[in-house]
Amino acid sequence: MDCIEVYDLVKTFKEKGKEIVAVDSISFKVKKGEMFGLLGPNGAGKSTTINILTGLLEKDSGTVKILGFEPEKNWEFVKNNSNVATAYSWLSDVLTVRQNLRVYAKIYGVKNTEKRINELLEMFELGKVADRKVIRLSSGENTRAVLCKGLINNPKVLFLDECTVGLDPDIADKTRNIIKNYQKENDAAILFTSHYMYEVEQLCDRIAFMSNGKIISIDTSSNLKKLIKKHTVEIAVKKDIKPLMELLKTEGVEIIFAKDNSIVFEVTTEHDKMYKVISKIFHKGFMLSNLHVKGPTLDDVFIKIARQK
Amino acid sequence: MKLHRINALLLKYYYITINRVDRLFDIVYWPIIDLFIWGFTAFYIQELSDVNVLSMLLGGAILWVFVWRASQDIAVFILEDFWSRNLYHLFSSPVRLSEHLTSIIMIGLFRALATFVLMWIVAIAFYSFNILTISPLIIAFAVFLLTLFGWAVGLFVAAFIFRYGQRIQVLAWSVTFLLQPFVCIFYPLSVLPEWAARIAVVLPPTHVFEALRAAIYNQAINYAGLWYALIAELILFVIMAFFLQAAFQRSRKTGLLAKGD
Repeated sequence: MDCIEVYDLVKTFKEKGKEIVAVDSISFKVKKGEMFGLLGPNGAGKSTTINILTGLLEKDSGTVKILGFEPEKNWEFVKNNSNVATAYSWLSDVLTVRQNLRVYAKIYGVKNTEKRINELLEMFELGKVADRKVIRLSSGENTRAVLCKGLINNPKVLFLDECTVGLDPDIADKTRNIIKNYQKENDAAILFTSHYMYEVEQLCDRIAFMSNGKIISIDTSSNLKKLIKKHTVEIAVKKDIKPLMELLKTEGVEIIFAKDNSIVFEVTTEHDKMYKVISKIFHKGFMLSNLHVKGPTLDDVFIKIARQK
Repeated sequence: MKLHRINALLLKYYYITINRVDRLFDIVYWPIIDLFIWGFTAFYIQELSDVNVLSMLLGGAILWVFVWRASQDIAVFILEDFWSRNLYHLFSSPVRLSEHLTSIIMIGLFRALATFVLMWIVAIAFYSFNILTISPLIIAFAVFLLTLFGWAVGLFVAAFIFRYGQRIQVLAWSVTFLLQPFVCIFYPLSVLPEWAARIAVVLPPTHVFEALRAAIYNQAINYAGLWYALIAELILFVIMAFFLQAAFQRSRKTGLLAKGD
């Protein structure tokens, strides 16, 4: 079952008389139990897309269906079964974390309110600051408080817009685990945006790369990485690197960086070129003190797409 | 509209009221200061002219609270959500604009009633003035009309906030004060210059305060003026509700609701 369906979605803004296309006829689907990542540079249209899906922004054209229904036509069902968390919008800062969660629990008609709130506070390690006003929280605590709100109604569809911004590595890792576990236990569909590529790679089943309001590519992270047809190789030799540099030049590889006894170069993944080059280095008898081969990452894909702008 | 969501929002605005000193000042500090200023002014005028102005000034000050609170609370509680960038969460939830406004109007009414009770007690304690001795029926009708007018003004300001964002937040505090000189709270319509009287006579609260003064001095009440006030306010309220709805829809189109600033 498709929990999120988007067909030919278009959104434009007018700024100083000029029309800016923020979302340009995009289509995608997110299945039940799937975590779907939206990636792209700033201004690619990720947040605009999420804002339309959550009903905060009116689309120009296209169709949006959440859990099989168009939100405008089935408001109660769609809204009560979905939720959103973003690092860029706080809960009411005059209220304490617990007061905010009580309000949202009542808005979503959550039963056993206090039990659910305590579960979430414990899950996100916010017990100690539960009765502190939101304005006095650190940015990491704020982000986690918003995530508590995002899960308060056990949503079947969850929108997470850069929801781990400001978290320290330990809490960010725990938060990712909570999100992943929530998805598995509830078979929830999650639409996820983030600038942290490793996070998207770790969490998302499929990824859509956006640029200039368009979806450039939708695929799994391993397939997306195949767009980058090169490996980065770092080699350190025990003696002078000049002969090695000469060899690499004759092999036609692109040297990125060379200093002291180390050299970093890029080599195409096509036609087993990397294996041929490395085997030649060994064959010529170079004594290596270090060899590190790095495959393409989502960062490389991101940079490639961002620079195509 | 769902009652549980209105209750949830009422709980939120109750928390804001008890957590924020400014919001407590709205219902306690400023009205009481107003009451003391007008009470002592009335004492001074009575010393000079032997005219009983105490009931007129204090009655006006106490009843004006309903316009003041009803209008300002709508605008300020909406601004609270802008200030804390909380509109995003509020309107991505099942909350509808009608529920949001109903809860704000209700909390505004509770706050106005709390202020009224406080001012009523203080006026009795310090000036031996009991507003309820005037004419309970007229007072009740005046409270209804003034509150309705305050809501209409509040919806008007709220529409501008949703249309232009926080940059026009000054309207939340200034609009009621802009109207104050023209609605004849503390003086009769007859003292206004012609140009001001032309404005005053169109404004519904003018007729309410004229009726209040007539009741205080046992003169004939102009019921036609009160009927005009009722009909004009009902029409104004409906127009402002549509105006706000249109501004809210526009904020969904322009992205102001999502950005919240």
